[in-house]
Amino acid sequence: MLDLIREFSPGLAILLTNPQFAFIQLLNSISQGMNLFIIAAGLSLIFGVLKVINFAHGVFYMFGAYVVHTVFMDWGAPFWVGAIASALALGVIAAIIERTLFRQIYEAEHLMQLLLTFAIVLIMGDLAKVIWGTEQYSVSYPASLKGATDLGITFYPSYRLMLCIIGPLILIALYWFAERTRWGRMTKAATQDREMLAALGINVPLIYTSVFILGSALAGFGGALAAPFSSPVPGMDATLIVECFVIVIVGGLGSLWGTFVGALLYGLVFNFGSVIYPNGQDVFAYLLLLVVLLIRPWGLYGKPEAGGH
Amino acid sequence: MKRILAGAVALAAMGAGSAALAQDIKIGVLYPTSGGGAIYGGPAMVGHNLAVDEINAAGGINGRMLVTVARDSKLNPAAAASAAKEMVTKDGVDVLMGGLSSAVGLAISEVAKQEGIVYLATIPKTIQMTTSKLHPHVFRTSSNTDFEGDAMAQLIKKIGGKKVCDIQLDYAYGHDLADGLKAALKRHAPDVEVVLDLRPKLRATDYNVFITQIMGAGCDVVTSGLWGSHFVDFAQQASPFGLFNNIKAYISGGEVASHEIAGKMGDDYPPNVISNTYELWYHAVSPNHKVFQEKIAEKSGTKETAMWPVLSYTGVKFYAEAVAKSGGTKSEGIIKALEGMTIDTPVGPRTINAADHQANTGQFWGPMVKKDGFSYKVMDPVTYIPAEIK
Repeated sequence: MLDLIREFSPGLAILLTNPQFAFIQLLNSISQGMNLFIIAAGLSLIFGVLKVINFAHGVFYMFGAYVVHTVFMDWGAPFWVGAIASALALGVIAAIIERTLFRQIYEAEHLMQLLLTFAIVLIMGDLAKVIWGTEQYSVSYPASLKGATDLGITFYPSYRLMLCIIGPLILIALYWFAERTRWGRMTKAATQDREMLAALGINVPLIYTSVFILGSALAGFGGALAAPFSSPVPGMDATLIVECFVIVIVGGLGSLWGTFVGALLYGLVFNFGSVIYPNGQDVFAYLLLLVVLLIRPWGLYGKPEAGGH
Repeated sequence: MKRILAGAVALAAMGAGSAALAQDIKIGVLYPTSGGGAIYGGPAMVGHNLAVDEINAAGGINGRMLVTVARDSKLNPAAAASAAKEMVTKDGVDVLMGGLSSAVGLAISEVAKQEGIVYLATIPKTIQMTTSKLHPHVFRTSSNTDFEGDAMAQLIKKIGGKKVCDIQLDYAYGHDLADGLKAALKRHAPDVEVVLDLRPKLRATDYNVFITQIMGAGCDVVTSGLWGSHFVDFAQQASPFGLFNNIKAYISGGEVASHEIAGKMGDDYPPNVISNTYELWYHAVSPNHKVFQEKIAEKSGTKETAMWPVLSYTGVKFYAEAVAKSGGTKSEGIIKALEGMTIDTPVGPRTINAADHQANTGQFWGPMVKKDGFSYKVMDPVTYIPAEIK
C-alpha cells in the first residue's frame, strides 16, 4: 500500500510515515496563514464597513516592509519599533487617502472604486521607487528570534513560531474591538444603516476614516512582519494581493472569523498541496476558491446576500 | 491646387527628414526598467549607454551615429514581444537587443524571427534560444544554462558532493538549468545522485515547504538557480532551520555572488555558498577591465557597481563591430559578420560560435567569504570558469 502511495506521491508517503515532517508542515501552514491573516483582516474589515474592495491594500503591505527596513536596518531602532512605525505610517497615509480620495467614491459604482484603488496602486508603486529605489533589500530577523526553538519533537524557527502566536492575538484584539467597544458597536451600526446613525448625531465619516486607518495599519504591520523572510522589492505586492483576495473570498468578505479560517485553510492547502503534488502548488489554492464559490458563493462565513447600498 | 502643392512640399520635407535620420543606426533595446526588474534594467542601461557614447564619441560607425530606442520589457514576455514589434514596425529600429528573463528572451527572439531582424540576447540564459528555438536572426552574447550547469557540476565534483538536492524556479530558466546540470553531472561526476527536484513558482514568497523537504532528504549539496530576491527570501527562511550549516555547499547559478545580493544581505548572507557572477567590482582581470569598471562607477555614482553593465556593453560592441565589418545594417550582412566574430570585451576576448550563435561567455565562480575591509561577503578565491562543454 505504502509503495503504491510512494509511486503516486513521494511527498505524501513521507507525510504519512514521518510525523515530525508532517508536524513541521503544519507549523509552516499556520505561520504562513497567520501572516496572511493579519494583512487580509485589514482588507476584509475595510470591505465590511466601507464596501470598497481596496486593491491598494497590497501596496500598503509593501510600504510596511520598506518602512521597517528604513527604521530597523537603516536607523538601527529595535525591530518592533520598526513594525509599529510601519503600522503608524500606513495609518497616516490611509487617513490622507480616505479624507481626500475615498470619500468621493462611496456612492459610486464598484467599477469606479476599483479604478481609483488601482490608480493608487500605480502611484504608490512609483512613489516607493522614488523613495527606496529599485533594488531588493534584506531585513534581518530581530536578534531574539534569529534562531530556532526546541519544541521537543523538532526544532522550528523562532520567528515563525512568533507569527503563529501573534496571529490569534490580533484576531482576539480585533474581535474585542468589534464586540466590546463603543467604536465597534458604532462601526457595526454604520454597516447596517448609516443614514440612521448620522441622524442620531454620530459622526459617520469619522467612523469610516478610523476603519480605513485600522485596516491599512494592519497591512503595514503585516508587511513589516513579512519583511525578514520576504525581502522588500518593487512588485512584492502583486502575489500578496491575490493571496489576500483568495483568503477573504473563501472566508466571506467582511467576516473576521472567515478571514482567519480562510487564511489557515490557504496555508494548509498551499503547504500540504505542495508536498503531495509539487507541480500544483498554486492550483490547490484556486481549487479551494473554486469549490467554495460553487458551494457557498458568499464564502464560508459570509452572508448570502451581499450587502450593497 | 495650392493644397496639393503644400502637401507635396510637406511630403518632400518628411522624406528629407527621414533620409537625414537614416544616417543614424537605431538600436532597439529592451530591459525591464519598471517593477521588480528595474534593479537589473537600470544598470544594464548604464552599460548600454556607455558603449553607445564611446562609439559615437569616436565618430560613430563609418560616420553613422548610434541612437538608442529603449522600451520597458517589464519582465513580461507578452509586454516585451509587443514592445519589440512596435520598435520594429513603428520606430524602424535596425536591431533588437537586451532582454533579461529567459521567458522574455524567447518572446523577443520570436519577434526577431517573424520580422527578420537581428536580435542580440545580452542577458537571457535559457538554452532553448540557441538550440531548439535557434533561428538565423538570434544571437546570444551572455552565458547560457548549459555553461552554467556545467560549471556547477565541476564544482560539485571538486568539493566531493555525493547527494544533490536541486531547487529551481518553475519557468524556462530554472528547468533548463536543471537539465543542463544533470547532463553535466553525467559527464563530470556520474556517481553523484540528484535525490530531490523542487520547483517553486517564480515570485514565490514562502519557501518553508521546500526547505523542510531539503532538510529531510539528507543531501550534502544543494544546487539552485534562485536569483535576486528569490535567493534573499530563500536564504532568510532557510537559515533558521540551519540548512546552510548542514551541507557541504550551496552551489548556485543565477549570479547570487554578485555584489547586488551580497552587499544588501551583509551578515545575513548564509555560509557555504559557492556562486557565480559576470563582474565583481573588486576584481579586475586586466588594466582594460579596470578602466571599464572606473567608467561604469562614474556613470553609476558608486564604485560598488552592479554586474549587468558588462553584458549590455558587450552586446553593443558586438553589433557595432558587425556593422563596421559588413558595411551596413542589413540583417543578412550582420548575421554573416557575427558568425564566428571575436571581439575584445572588458573581461577578455569573446567569440560567437557560427553554428549555434552562442558567445563563449564564461563567468567568475567562487566561495563567498568574510574578508577584511568589506562589510559584506566577497568571492575569494575568484576563478574564471570558461564557457566550454567538454
